[in-house]
Amino acid sequence: MFELKWLWKNLEGNRARYILALCLSVIGSSLMIVNPFLTQRIVDNFIVGEDAMQNLANERELLILLCLGMVGFTLLRSGLAYLTMMQYEHASQNMLYNVRIFLYNKIQGQDKEYFDRNRTGDLMTRMTGDLDMVRHTIAWIVKTIIESLTIFAVAVGYFFYIDAVLTWWLLILAPPIFITSFFFARRVRPMYVSLRERLSQLNSAAQENIAANRVIKAFAREDYEIEKFHERNANYQKANKAAALVWLDYFPYLETFAQAFSVILMIAGGLFVMEDRITFGEYAAFSALIWAISNPMRSIGMIINDIQRFFASLAKIVEVYYATPRIANKRLAETKRRYEGSIRFDHVTFKYDSVSVLHDVSFTVHPGETVAIMGPTGAGKTTIVNLIPRFYDVTSGHVFIDGVDVRKLDLDELRSNIGIATQDVLLFSDTIDGNVAFGDPELSEEDTKRYAKLAAADDFIRKMPEGYDTIIGERGVGLSGGQKQRLALSRAMAVQRPILILDDTTSAVDLETEEHIQNSLNKLDTGCTKIIIAQRVSTTAKADRILILDGGRVIEEGTHAELLARRGYYYEVFMLQNEGLERQVTAGGKE
Amino acid sequence: MARNKFDIDENLESPFDIRHFKRALVYIKQQKRPMIIALVLSVLSAGIGLTAPLIMQHVVDVTIPEKEVGALFGWSALMLLTIVVSVILAAIRGRIMTSVGQDIIFEIRSDLFKHLQALPFKYYDDRPQGKIMIRVVNYVNSVSDVLSNGIINFIMEILNLVFIAVFMFAVDYRLALVILAGLPVFAAFLLLIKNRQRRSWQSVSNKSSNLNAYMQESISGIGVTQIFTREDRNEGIFTRLATNFRTEWIKAIHYNAMIPFTVDNLATIVTTMIYVVGLLVLSPAEVTFGVILAMSSYAARFWQPILNLSNLYNGFINAVAYLERIFETLDEPVTIKDAPGAKELPPVQGRVTFDHVTFGYDAGNHVLENLSFDVKPGESIALVGPTGAGKTTVVNLISRFYDVTGGRILVDGHNISEATLQSLRSQMGIMLQDSFIFSGTIMDNIRYGRLDATEDEIIAAAKTVRADDFIREFENGYMTEVNERGSKLSQGQRQLISFARTLLADPRILILDEATSSIDAKTERLLQQGMNELLKGRTSFIIAHRLSTVRGCDRIMYVSNKGIAESGSHDELIAKRGLYYKLYTAQKMEAV
Repeated sequence: MFELKWLWKNLEGNRARYILALCLSVIGSSLMIVNPFLTQRIVDNFIVGEDAMQNLANERELLILLCLGMVGFTLLRSGLAYLTMMQYEHASQNMLYNVRIFLYNKIQGQDKEYFDRNRTGDLMTRMTGDLDMVRHTIAWIVKTIIESLTIFAVAVGYFFYIDAVLTWWLLILAPPIFITSFFFARRVRPMYVSLRERLSQLNSAAQENIAANRVIKAFAREDYEIEKFHERNANYQKANKAAALVWLDYFPYLETFAQAFSVILMIAGGLFVMEDRITFGEYAAFSALIWAISNPMRSIGMIINDIQRFFASLAKIVEVYYATPRIANKRLAETKRRYEGSIRFDHVTFKYDSVSVLHDVSFTVHPGETVAIMGPTGAGKTTIVNLIPRFYDVTSGHVFIDGVDVRKLDLDELRSNIGIATQDVLLFSDTIDGNVAFGDPELSEEDTKRYAKLAAADDFIRKMPEGYDTIIGERGVGLSGGQKQRLALSRAMAVQRPILILDDTTSAVDLETEEHIQNSLNKLDTGCTKIIIAQRVSTTAKADRILILDGGRVIEEGTHAELLARRGYYYEVFMLQNEGLERQVTAGGKE
Repeated sequence: MARNKFDIDENLESPFDIRHFKRALVYIKQQKRPMIIALVLSVLSAGIGLTAPLIMQHVVDVTIPEKEVGALFGWSALMLLTIVVSVILAAIRGRIMTSVGQDIIFEIRSDLFKHLQALPFKYYDDRPQGKIMIRVVNYVNSVSDVLSNGIINFIMEILNLVFIAVFMFAVDYRLALVILAGLPVFAAFLLLIKNRQRRSWQSVSNKSSNLNAYMQESISGIGVTQIFTREDRNEGIFTRLATNFRTEWIKAIHYNAMIPFTVDNLATIVTTMIYVVGLLVLSPAEVTFGVILAMSSYAARFWQPILNLSNLYNGFINAVAYLERIFETLDEPVTIKDAPGAKELPPVQGRVTFDHVTFGYDAGNHVLENLSFDVKPGESIALVGPTGAGKTTVVNLISRFYDVTGGRILVDGHNISEATLQSLRSQMGIMLQDSFIFSGTIMDNIRYGRLDATEDEIIAAAKTVRADDFIREFENGYMTEVNERGSKLSQGQRQLISFARTLLADPRILILDEATSSIDAKTERLLQQGMNELLKGRTSFIIAHRLSTVRGCDRIMYVSNKGIAESGSHDELIAKRGLYYKLYTAQKMEAV
């Protein structure tokens, strides 16, 4: 069975421990059956036996010994039970730990497309509730199954030893129990699949609501959100009830069958005693152990219930577990090289969801050059940025770095050669220092400050209550757009990669600050190739070359002066942005 | 409390006491009736269950020895009947309690969510999102069983215990005392480990919260991680967090495992003491063998409920670690709320007045000081100035995302802190720096601005902000599914959609906070034409760096130094050759 194989595979490193736990379970539950015999001896010898009075007078030591034996035996048995439980816990926690880290790495290795399709809340459900179900299975369900089986087997074996016919009579109840369980399993399975789905939806709703808290307040949409969440909450509640009700549909039958073992014993055993087939003592032995047959039968329903839940959860985990990203690191490079930094787009076309984003784009950036890209919203500027570190792969054409197609480069090496300050600034809930040094955690304190200064961030950081040790909120909440951009910029500069891409990174900073940043960029000690996406002429003017992108095509290319002379898109933007200033800007930028 | 991050445990200020459980009673009380019915059913079912041993006894003692075959079938039928009846009762109880348990957690989750909606930005800013989420979903799920079946079972076991104790004392009080002697020992043991066990489970909840927070942030920040090739490092951090969780779990579960161990041994010791005391200490004249036999079986039956209770106790201790987190969140003060007796703000004209406003995010650290200005209805105001000067703060105060520290803000002469939040914010359109896209269609995303807007109105709004063109280019047009992080939309397109959303709200007061920073100059120009019409008759506050956006405003305020340093129209300020002039020309000159 696939599920069992999967569990076994992931128990690697803990298999010995787990087998030990299973063995301990078997021993422990066998002892459960042995235990009452000691009590029986005390009762027989000292209380109800014929020579009880005599024994009591003469063999006090034996009584004390038997009592001590009982205590010692219980100590052993309960100690064993403790040990067993801890073995299961250790093994299941270790497995949980391994799978969790494996899945974490799996998720980290997925390409952008994967995250376009999978919602955070859903992935989180897999990493929390679903994983816990796996842990529960290993630590609890399997344990229950083994212990029930052992007790059942030992009891049935013992019963056969006493009287086979009576045992067969008792076992008459097993088939109806199995059949009922089978139908139950079939009916409850889809319930858990849907319950699991509802949980994921609930999680996604909560997650999105928390992430959107500012927008919600801005539109005073709290009531609407509550209503929306209420629906998910109610759906989840209903699914929970529905699954439980299926169980409750079958529970009466299973429970009645399980308890009917005593009734069968009473009729069949009673008749056998009357016919002198078995003795009273044998009947009593059956009666004393009948729980060992009925209890395991009783737990079949609960076990099946939990197993179906486990299946539903595992199916979701396995999706992540075996997901293979289209863009993955094939580990081509032994050691990471530092690239020269030349970039060439060769007839690149890119489609996203069958919508064309880039058509036949070609351009070259030489090492150390600065190229600016400008163009209307949705023209494909960020897509160009995404193709270089292979967040997506081209639909046709090639992207070359240092003359090699990026798809032939080691992904890790490729990305280690690129520094990007993305348009959607994403900072982490960490100290400012930790955020700037994100790409290079070993960065010294002075260097952190130096890069912050280069990005014109030092001033505002120092004004913060705890300076560089101030913890910022997740995604950088609480900082202004300009502040976030400057932190992202220092983060990108701090890694000193041969290719630096700035995707509209200064749109929210004022011009004075931007000028400071531009000077810094020119002064970076390690020469690097720069691609700067910007909407402002002030940002693009000094670039070696400017590309104008429109509708996924390069429509203009040249220096500031050349493009102004062309009187095309760039010129229009230039005029728009300088309009109203007292002094007209006539010529400028690079010749 | 300082801001929290993924690897900082959240300390709980209040020590544990029974109060947490008492608070949970509020939810349980709503289910009083079904719970009482369930309890009665349980008692009945248990009572009927008690007849089975009596029947068996009788069959063994009388029916079988006397070979009454007919009676044997009769008794068996009766026993089957008692089984069927008690199973039916149990099934009904099951139905009731499933409902009760689910309803309780539904209510708790609803309350928690409602409260979260009322909490200010600061709450969300101060902790990772994953830590909030785990409370709403996972923690609430964890307490369901304890608060429903746990309580009924608890009562049942106690009843059981009392019953057996009464029987024991009726039979022989001396031996009964021997059996009870184990209890103080057990109680002492529980007391001994109680604090440690509880702290351990608290720690488990903390570690799982940390793990969750980091996981969640890793997913949302995946792009940055990949570009900085931080995967290995992140794995290290995640491994550390997972190790912490595992360590704490093992520690906590070890206490749980110790409890049945203790009960088991105490029960056995007590039973053997019955034999020792009954047989060796007391003389046969004082206790008959029958009594000893009965008492030894009572000992086992007395300690079984205790074992069950201690399992419930384990579950309870575990649940408290989650309950206290839930209640802690419910206790989080709602700082920005309707003042007592707050009035609905009537439909406003849009006059906005700052009257000696002082504000600081932290006490003693003022961002704005003694700021006063007056904006006439329909006037458009541009706020400019260095980043971090307080431009966003000014607009945040108008929409009352924060309360002023001193002074007051008036809208149409009404003090906003005396108006209801709903009536204030619903008349404002606020477009924030981060344009959030909800998962759903583009249509739904725009409709968020006005829930009852028709499709035509939505399309009209999209046309006004020049979003219509690109939306139609998608295969499914307005019905294209988008989400928070998806790459279908460029940053500029996101801004346009959220712009359309804001316009659809048809607000009297419009606030645009860097709303157009990612939109290209030409689109912005086109947008401006539609906008000019729209701005007419609306008071607007616009924060922007781009001159082209700022220039068209009626008045420009240069925010710096905790107040407004310059104010006037574009031409006036350029002529003044002050800060504004410097901001927009100094750099230009050099580029030329």
